[in-house]
Amino acid sequence: MKNCVRELRTQKNWTQQEVADRIDVSRQTINAIETGRYDPGLPMAFALARLFRKSIEEIFEADR
Amino acid sequence: MSHKARMSRYFLELMGAMALYVAVVAAATRVAPGMGSAGLKALVCVSPMLPIALVIWAIARHFRRVDEYLRLAMLETVAIAAAVTAGASLTYGFLENAGLPKLSMFVVWPVMGAVWFLLACIREFRERRQG
Repeated sequence: MKNCVRELRTQKNWTQQEVADRIDVSRQTINAIETGRYDPGLPMAFALARLFRKSIEEIFEADR
Repeated sequence: MSHKARMSRYFLELMGAMALYVAVVAAATRVAPGMGSAGLKALVCVSPMLPIALVIWAIARHFRRVDEYLRLAMLETVAIAAAVTAGASLTYGFLENAGLPKLSMFVVWPVMGAVWFLLACIREFRERRQG
């Protein structure tokens, strides 16, 4: 699954740690999502969507 | 509870349990040799397992509290460490048949702990490099 978390984060000038603190996860988790090593579950995907004020589909895109 | 608060609570619980373990081991090794009753002596010798149960409880609580990615990463690391330790202990068991000195069962946990620590360091290093 592809995602644009890194792009959204850098647009807001946030560090990975800041994003992690805002949705109450670890920095490693944000790093793993950004680098495509981990696809988050629904609660975390919703938390990211709320944080960036986007829909889940705007952040995550399934591989074809 | 924030991630930082969860980590602080984990280290507090873990360090508390480990400090208790050290104290109980020190007391048990001092008291046990002078004891007459074999049953009571065995109970005193095995008493450090009570704080070890607290250590396991602290780790289990931490697993339940951390986020989903960390939980997966930690469980994967523990699983690989257990598999490596099983392989190493089985290999050494066969080598004992070939004449190598017999080792105490106490060796198993430090080996698994060391492999666990090494794998966690490798994972952290790789993540920092990719980040």
